[in-house]
Order: sequence, then structure tokens, then C-alpha cells
Amino acid sequence: MTPNSATPSAPSRRSFLASTAVATAVVAGGVPLLSACGGSQEGRKEGTTSGKDAKKILPTFVASNVVAPDIPSKNGSAAGFTKAIPTADLKTSVPKKLGSGGSLKIMSPFWGTPPKGDNPYYKAMNEAVGVDVTWQNQDGITYDQKLGAVLASSDIPDVVVVPAWNLMGKIPSAINAKFADLGPYLSGDKVKEYPNLAAVPSEAWQRAIFGGQLRGIPMPGSYVTNIAPLYRRDLFGKKGYEVPRSPDAFLSWAKEATDAKSKLWACDDMKWSAFHIYGVFPGGDKELWWNLVDGKLVNRVETEEYLEALEWTRKLYAAGVVHPDALNIKAGGTAGNRFTAGEVLVYNQNISDWWGKTAEQRTQNPDFDMAAFDYFGADGGDPTLWAGQPASIFTFISKKATKQQIKDFLALCNYCAAPYGTKEFMLTAYGVEDTDYETKKGLPVKTTQGVNEVNGAYDYTGNPAPYVAYPDLPEITKGIVEWQQRMGAFTRKTPFFGLTITEPNRWANLADNFEQLEDDTVRGRKKISDVQQAVADWKSKGGDKLRDWYKKLLDETGSAS
Amino acid sequence: MSALADKTAKARADMAAKTAKADKAAETADPADRRPAARKPGRWAAPPRPVWEEEPAKAGLAGKGVALGFACFAILFPLWIVVVTSLQTKKTIDEAGGLVVVPRSITFVAYQELLGGGQVQRAALVSVGVTLVGTLFSMTVSVLCAYGLSRTGSLGHRWILMTLLATMFFGAGLIPTYLLVQALGLTDTYLALILPSAVSVFNILVLRSFFMGISPELIDSARIDGAGDWRILWKIVMPLSRAVLAVIALFYAVGYWSAWFNASIYLTDQDMMPLQNVMIQLVQKQERPVGLAAQINTGQLSPLAVQMAVMVMALLPVAVLSPFVQKHFKKGMLTGAIKG
Amino acid sequence: MSHSTVPRPGAEAKTPDRPPASGDAARSRPPGEKHVRRLNLRLRFRRDRTLILMTLPAVLLLLVFNYIPILGNVVAFQDYDPYLSDNGFVAMLESPWVGLEQFERIFADSAFWHAVRNTFVLFFLQLVLFFPVPILLALLINSVVRPRVRAVAQAVMYLPHFFSWVLVVTVFMQIFGGAGIIAQTLRQHGVDGFDLMTNPETFKYLVTVEMIWKDAGWGIIVFLAALSSVSHDLYEAAAMDGAGRWRRMWHITLPALRPVIALLLVLRVGDALTVGFEQLLLQRSAVGVDASEVLDTYVWWNGIRNQDFSYAAAAGLIKGMVGVALVLVANKVAHLMGEQGVYKK
Repeated sequence: MTPNSATPSAPSRRSFLASTAVATAVVAGGVPLLSACGGSQEGRKEGTTSGKDAKKILPTFVASNVVAPDIPSKNGSAAGFTKAIPTADLKTSVPKKLGSGGSLKIMSPFWGTPPKGDNPYYKAMNEAVGVDVTWQNQDGITYDQKLGAVLASSDIPDVVVVPAWNLMGKIPSAINAKFADLGPYLSGDKVKEYPNLAAVPSEAWQRAIFGGQLRGIPMPGSYVTNIAPLYRRDLFGKKGYEVPRSPDAFLSWAKEATDAKSKLWACDDMKWSAFHIYGVFPGGDKELWWNLVDGKLVNRVETEEYLEALEWTRKLYAAGVVHPDALNIKAGGTAGNRFTAGEVLVYNQNISDWWGKTAEQRTQNPDFDMAAFDYFGADGGDPTLWAGQPASIFTFISKKATKQQIKDFLALCNYCAAPYGTKEFMLTAYGVEDTDYETKKGLPVKTTQGVNEVNGAYDYTGNPAPYVAYPDLPEITKGIVEWQQRMGAFTRKTPFFGLTITEPNRWANLADNFEQLEDDTVRGRKKISDVQQAVADWKSKGGDKLRDWYKKLLDETGSAS
Repeated sequence: MSALADKTAKARADMAAKTAKADKAAETADPADRRPAARKPGRWAAPPRPVWEEEPAKAGLAGKGVALGFACFAILFPLWIVVVTSLQTKKTIDEAGGLVVVPRSITFVAYQELLGGGQVQRAALVSVGVTLVGTLFSMTVSVLCAYGLSRTGSLGHRWILMTLLATMFFGAGLIPTYLLVQALGLTDTYLALILPSAVSVFNILVLRSFFMGISPELIDSARIDGAGDWRILWKIVMPLSRAVLAVIALFYAVGYWSAWFNASIYLTDQDMMPLQNVMIQLVQKQERPVGLAAQINTGQLSPLAVQMAVMVMALLPVAVLSPFVQKHFKKGMLTGAIKG
Repeated sequence: MSHSTVPRPGAEAKTPDRPPASGDAARSRPPGEKHVRRLNLRLRFRRDRTLILMTLPAVLLLLVFNYIPILGNVVAFQDYDPYLSDNGFVAMLESPWVGLEQFERIFADSAFWHAVRNTFVLFFLQLVLFFPVPILLALLINSVVRPRVRAVAQAVMYLPHFFSWVLVVTVFMQIFGGAGIIAQTLRQHGVDGFDLMTNPETFKYLVTVEMIWKDAGWGIIVFLAALSSVSHDLYEAAAMDGAGRWRRMWHITLPALRPVIALLLVLRVGDALTVGFEQLLLQRSAVGVDASEVLDTYVWWNGIRNQDFSYAAAAGLIKGMVGVALVLVANKVAHLMGEQGVYKK
């Protein structure tokens, strides 16, 4: 289950920023450490690791300064790079091919339509890295359904990409059981063999400590929410609509804008946005579900705001302003397609879609124009936003992998983590020149093939510090970073921010059904009272004990930040 | 039409004189046979009524015609929409505002794109492969087992039969089966799509009872000529059982062709997914076929035509094959059906 | 096809129950051994080893995929953790035993009882709405005298049986869904919001209609066969005695169908807990859990999706046990009614 308001879909590498500054923030907490609740060291440990314990494990941070960002990070935003760099001026960050020519099978979520396996982009990447990667791309929306099954089987893929919001049920304990400790290769100064990985901020690495060991390669991201309400600026302009500034205004605008007869609906499923508008604690990782309210830990599902957000979304559905196809599928599904087809005017998705959809559409539809609008609060004033984690997607390698495979894996991650301004970055983010992108007026512009192929996959196996870099569409780069900065100003952190926590097995499945319940509620199939009942059940079946457990953890470890 | 019905009809026809007098009332009542009846009155006309039967009331006939017509319409109309829409240009579909009932153009562009390599073509090949291999395997195992059980007095006959029959009354349950397939390391292999469902006890029983009905003299005389069981099965029993073999093969093939659940829980690799699973993704979840996403998303191809074309590909083999085997259905079903 | 092959329910089942030694059907024996009443085991083995060998592949497959997994149900009494070992069997051995704790959890779960309720609601709807349809269709087809019309009608009606559930559900989406042909037509006439596929209120009827569409036509085969076994002399004699069309149907046709109807009814009741797993799973996200959750999908969700294997296995076990009990009871009832049932007494 993915009660994820925080981090649903398609986080693409481009949406995260590269501020080297953020990096120093590190394991700030400094509070001594601890791993709560014991558990054996061999990896099935509950609790978390922070402070001194974490320091022993974390890789040494070595900043990289290839290009200074045009828009520096502020309020937790990514850094923006708006200027294109001519091919001739690109630097080289991986001078020597580190891969041994071995092969790796990687299972990864994919949002959208994955390309064929033998495309020129994959081939070029594999060639450049020196590792023969075979991608098993899975539907990102229903990835949770696949993940548990795969991890339970005796034969898992060599490498598995796991989004943090899929860390539900027993998945965290599966991760501790099935994946290799990268500490021997990366802890301390050892990471210097992989300079691009050494430039990954420590707070991202901190998140990659699972069960007391450094198991994952994190994908650093801005902690400002990456889900944005996106609207068709072109169609808004044509009709003379203003962007609504409150939940009520949105509803009445939506009623006016919907014209089902001509296949036009105001919006798609807006549940994720609703959580932000109403200031619900983040839904991504389970540790963020908790917040201190008057000295007491409160779970997101227990809050009034949670119910209000669901109620508002339910009203949208009930008013018939949501595209009917949204009813058929899990939230997030194929909303983007309906948006570009002009059937919905607003949808919410990872803000990188702003660039993604624009780049896709402009090959055929030059008038296409979209943008993200700012969150408003429940009363139409400033919103209260909660920070997501500084890394929300991880890549793991199987315990059964050979030493050579682990080195190949790190070679791959190091390559993909190359910062903006390098040849490696251009290949990873834009693909093969003249095939996946063409240089027009000095700007790299993706071809249709590039739009199809250069997407996902290598986005998740290694990334530099959070950045946004779309030199072909500098306006969008600017728009995204500035949106993050504006939203960042309203963003606060919950106590377990920055930590990765493994819950005890006996309560691991406790919250599994909330996401399904949310979807059923907003679509009018269950009532708000059913949610309240589910929350009461959750409490009595262990939610209250889980609260005590988290409280103890908090008292013992302190928070990461 | 089944052999049985044929016979019955013939018998009726013989009972009365052969005066092919078209029953006008029935004709108007039943649109299905109106046109052909005009052309080939001999084959479509009603056989004469037995003398003892009263002339049907017009209302009754009309009612029957309407009911029959409705049933057929309810089945064929949706299929018609699917097929027609898959053949329309994007322009026609846009003008119709969605699904097309009356064809206004014909283009095979959706099929060309889907079959020009890529996800759907691949999935179709996977489905064809799994269906062929699976059917062959299932038939081999089932025919052997059915023959092995076809002599009631043979050693262990009773126990083996009980072993089979018992499985019809209980299942191990989804979870234990799933855990077993996983423990055997079959996940992510095509074997997971074939082995767990390879044997249908029902089908074996149908085959068995058919084999048992073959004249024992024939078999005995072959044995006297020195033929062993393998030879008897191959040379005598199977050639005599073509009809039932065809039916059972169709049952198995349809089972493999239609299966999606096992693939959904046992397969991870998207490239291995059979057509049904791809159809779920493309039509139910409205995703885009690999390789065609940009073309569809930017409006060069109609997503609807592509979806419908995928559906046509999934229904075509079945729709084409089953009528050929249809006349044997009754024979196959009856022998075993009732015992369920 | 001769009329003698027409369904004599249970007739076939006799053979397996006959003790092999005493019931030796001489006809299937090699001629030279006809006179031997009892052969010693070795001789019989030599004689029949080919036959046994032939059954081996099927028996092995059944043992592996139907019998061995039964043992796997022990996880229902554990807190099974698949991640304890790469090998599922080892993980099973190492998982802690918890007795009936999983069952207690299940019985305390309102979602479980909801699934039970949905299961029975769907079952009764199918019994009332689905069951009679093939009988009526068979009577209808049987009354059509033109062979060609019958052939075509049957071909059309059998067809959907061979479509996959995926196809059937998607075809229904194209007709009754929010983007389907009906909604599309209504929308063009200013009526908005038609979408049967996502309406939880009407879902149970939708499911039943889908089932009728797919399998009612196929179901007529058995009844047609039963009908064709009725001698025409009977009808003729009745007609001579002045019995009209309806009286003939009442006194000749329906009694001929009675054993078949009774048997199928028994079978259906015995299978009451199975109400269209694939069909419901495919529509789960469209209509929500509340309307679509039945026992089978409940097991799937908790086991496969939530990886709570022990819990799901326990739920599956409950379903299995109740299922077997239902078969036994239903069969008993059939015997009491003087019908043959599924197996002989």
C-alpha cells in the first residue's frame, strides 16, 4: 500500500537538485545514536540507526563542483541549471570505465510506458558504464503488488529499485534479509573510489541505512514535496480561467469548467494534492506518518486534516468534475495521458511531469503549455506543508551477488550519479546525441525516440545531489525550482525526518489497507465513518502500541535533524 | 450444430413428406435466417412439421424469434463494436466521440503498428507459444493417463482414479500453491504458466470414458496381432477418438490462451507477459503499448483503435477455432460433463 | 450420437467405485486371461505396468501441484516469514508456531465477514438469475426446428464461453463503462455520469450479467442433450391424447430435465464459496473493495499483495473446509431426494 501523498510517481532524476550546500547538513542530529529495540546485528533489526552509529557507516562526503547552479538552492529546493553547455565543453567525471563487462538484472518501477529492452539508449549506457544491464521495468503505480512477491521468492533479481513509499508491510524486513551490505565498499573514505557517489549528500546516505547497514544507493531529492498540482495553462488562458485559490474556489471552478458532453473534465484524482492542501502529515514513508502534537505522537490517519482532505476529494468525485476513467484505477494511474489529451485540465503528479509532458507534446503540439500552481491552505491562506524525506528511492543489490557484481553495480551508480555539466550526465539524462536528442540552436532537444526511451531506468541507479536541469526548456527549470522555493518556505519537518525505521514485524501489516480505503472513500464507495472505524481498529490492533514504540525510539535516538 | 441435433432434425424431416414449404411467419420473426433463406431455401427452411403438431401461433413464433435474436445480438453487438472501432481511422473515432458502431473507414494502421514489433506482438507470440506447448503437454499427459485408466481391472486402477477424483473436491488453496511454485524456483519461468494447471482431471475423465467406449474386440484383435499398449493407443484408440481429442485440445488451448492470473503473480519480467496481461494493462488500465506511447500521446494514433485491436487479437483465435470443433462439443461434454 | 449417451447422471461414476478384483470387466482383458479371476500381484504388475507408467506423469503433476501444497497449509498455524530463508521450505521450518492466532485474527476482522457476506450474496444472485437462463435458452433452441438456425444460434451462444475473463470484462467496459458506448451516446444527448462498471450498488448484478453473457450459452449443451433424448413418440402420443404445447412441455419436457437440473444444482451449491475469482479481481479497482471482496479475493489480497501469508493461508483453509462440507451436505441432500448426486453412496 502506498499511502503516499509525498512521493507518488515518476520522480525523475531531473526533478531533484544538486545543491552541494545541502550536503553538509549531514547527520545533523548528532544525538547519539541508537538502534532502538535491539534485534540482532545480522540484519533483521528493528528500529533505526543515527548519530555516532551512523557516522561509522556513512561514506565521506566530497563535494563536486563541475558547474555552479544558475539558481542556487533555497528553502530546501533543488538547485537549477538553466544554461545548456556545448558538447565540447562537457567535463568528464568517469575517466576510466569501471565496469568489468559483467551483467546485472535490475528490477525497477517505471511510470509511463517503458521502452523496448534493446534500444540505443540502454545499449549506449551499458557500453559506457561497462556493465550489461537488463531492465525489468514494472508498472510503478502497482509496484507494491509486485515487490513483496518478488522479494519472497528464492530467486530475486540482482538489483532491485525500491521507492520509500513502497516500504510497507514486511518489505523493510525483506530488505534487511535479502540485500547486501555496501558498507565494505563505501563507508568512510572507501567511497572515494567512486567520486560521483562521494558527492551524494550525507543526509541521503543516512536514509540508505537499513537494519544497521548501508544497503541502498539513495536517490537524493529535495525534501519539498514533489507532488504538484499541474494545470493546462494554454486551455486556462483560452477560457479565461484563473487558478483557484482555495478548496472551495477549486470546487466551484471545477463545476464550471467541466463539460462532460465534450469530454472535458476539470480534474483527475486530486487526493495527493488534497493531503497537501489540508496539511496532512506526509504519507510516503511510515516514519513520517508520525508527528509530535503537544508532546504526543499522532499518526496522520488520526488527524482531522486527514478526514477533511478525503472529504474534499470525495466532493470532487461526487460533483462529477473528475474524469470518469480515474475511477477505474489506482490514484496516479494514467492521469497524465488524459491531461495531454485535453480531457482534464488539472491533475497532480511529480513535478518533473511539467517538463516531461511538455517535452513529449511539443514535437507534435507546439501550443501545448502547462504549469504547476501553488498549494493553498484549507482556508485559502498559506498552506502547511510537511517535508518529505531527503531520499525517497533506493537501489539495492542482492546478498547473493558476487564481489565483482557489487563493484559493477557501484560502477553503474557512480556513472549515473554524474553531475550536470559532464558527458556522463548528458548521456544518462538525454541519451545518445542525434538519436535521442538533437542540438538545436545550442539546446539539446529530445526526439520522439528520446522521449520514448530516455526515461526512468538509469534515473534510479545513482544520482547527484538534488538538481533540476532542463537546458532545453530553461523556463520550466526555473518554474520548478521557484515553485519548490515558494513551497519550501511553508514546509516543516516531522520528528523522524531523515531516518529510516524498520517497524517490528508484528505491527508491520497494520496500516496496509489504508490506501485502498482512501481510494474507496474519495470515490464514494466507503464513507468517512468507515475510515474512522478503520482508524479505531488500527489503534486497538496495535496502533497504540506502535505509538509507544515510536515514542521510545524518539526518546532514545532523537531525530536525525 | 451438434451431431445430435442434426440427427434429431433429420429424423423429424424424415417423418413427414419432403415439401419444403417456407414458413413465412417464422421467417419474418427470425431475422437471422431471412437473407440466406431466400437464397438457399433447401438448407435454411424449416423441415415440415410432424402431422400431430399444431400450427404454431404467430405470436409464439415472433416471441421466439425476438428472444433468439436478442440473445445473439447481445453477444455479437459488443464484438462488432470492438472489431469495427479497431479498423477506424483516428478521424472517424474522434468524430464519433469514441466507439464506432457504423464503420466509415477501414484502416489497418492500428494492427500494423501493434504487429510491427514491440510489446503487443511479443505478448501475442508468448501467448501462442505457451498455448501450443502447454496444449501439447497437457494433451500428452492426459491422453496417456486416460488410456492408462481405461481398463477397469488393471492394477492400481482404483487407487489412481481416486487420487485423481479427490482433487476435484478440494484444492490446496492459493497461498500454499503459490509458496510451492516459489520454492520450486518456477517463478519467472514459463513453466509456472504451464505446470500448475497442466492436468485437468475433468478432461482426463472425458477422454477416459470415451476410450472405454471403443469396441474391445478391436483392441483385442490388435493385441492378438502382437501390438502393445503404446501401439494400440497410437494406432487404434487415438484415430478413433479424433472428435473428442479435438474438443479436449480446444479446452486446454482456451485455458492457456485465457489465463492471466498465474502470469500476474509468478512473472516479473514484462517482456514475458502473455497477451491477456498486456490487455489488462492497455485496455483496463489505459496504459500505452511500449514503443507506441509517444505516437499515441501526441495524437498521431487513436488510443481507442489500438486498444480495440489488442482485444481483437485476443478474441480472434478463439472465435475462429471454436466453431470448427463445435459439432463435437456435445459428445465431449456429455460423457464427462455431468459428472463434473 | 445415440440417445444412450445422454446424461445419466452418475452413471459414469460407477466404474471407479467398483472393486477391481471382483468387478473385472472381462471385455477389457487380454483374451488369454479372461478366465483368471485373481492374478497375483506380480503377474498383474507385469501385465499392467505400461498402463501404470502411462498414468504416471499426470499423477506426479497432481501430487506435486495438488497434494504437496496441502501440507503447505501448516503456515496457517505459524507466523510465516518468507524472508527467513531463500528456501521456502526452510523458512517454513524456522517460522514460529502460533497455534490458532491467525484464525482469531480473521474472525475478529470485519473485512473477512464482509467478504463472506458478499460471497453468499453473489452466490444467491447467481442461483436465482443465472441458473434458469441456460434451461430457458435450451427450451428455446430446442423448439426451433430449422437445423441451420439452430446451428448458427448455438455457435453464437457457445462463443463467449471461450473468451477469457479479461476479454469479457473489457468488452463490458466498452458497453457499460464510463467511456463505453452507452455513456457516450447518453453524453451526446446531454445525460452525464452513466457508468455501470464503477457503480458499487449495481455491481453484483453486473457480475451476474457478465456471467450470464459468458457462460449461459455454454450451459445449454447439457440440457439440449437431455431434451434430445426424449422420444418423439411420447410427444406424439400426448398430442394424440389432446395435450397442447404447454401441457406437453410440462408433462414430458420438464420431467426429462429434472435429474440434470437437480445434479447441476447440487454441484453449484457444493461450490457456493467460489463465485468468480478472476472476474472479481479484474474489477476490484474499478468498483472498490466493498462491493467486490469475496473470500477468494480476500485471500489473494492478504497473501499475495500484503505478503501476510499465514493469515491468508488460514483464510483459505477456512474456505476450503467449508467448501468440502458444503459438497458433502449437498450430495447428501441429493441422495435424499432420490437423485444420484456427484458420487454414489
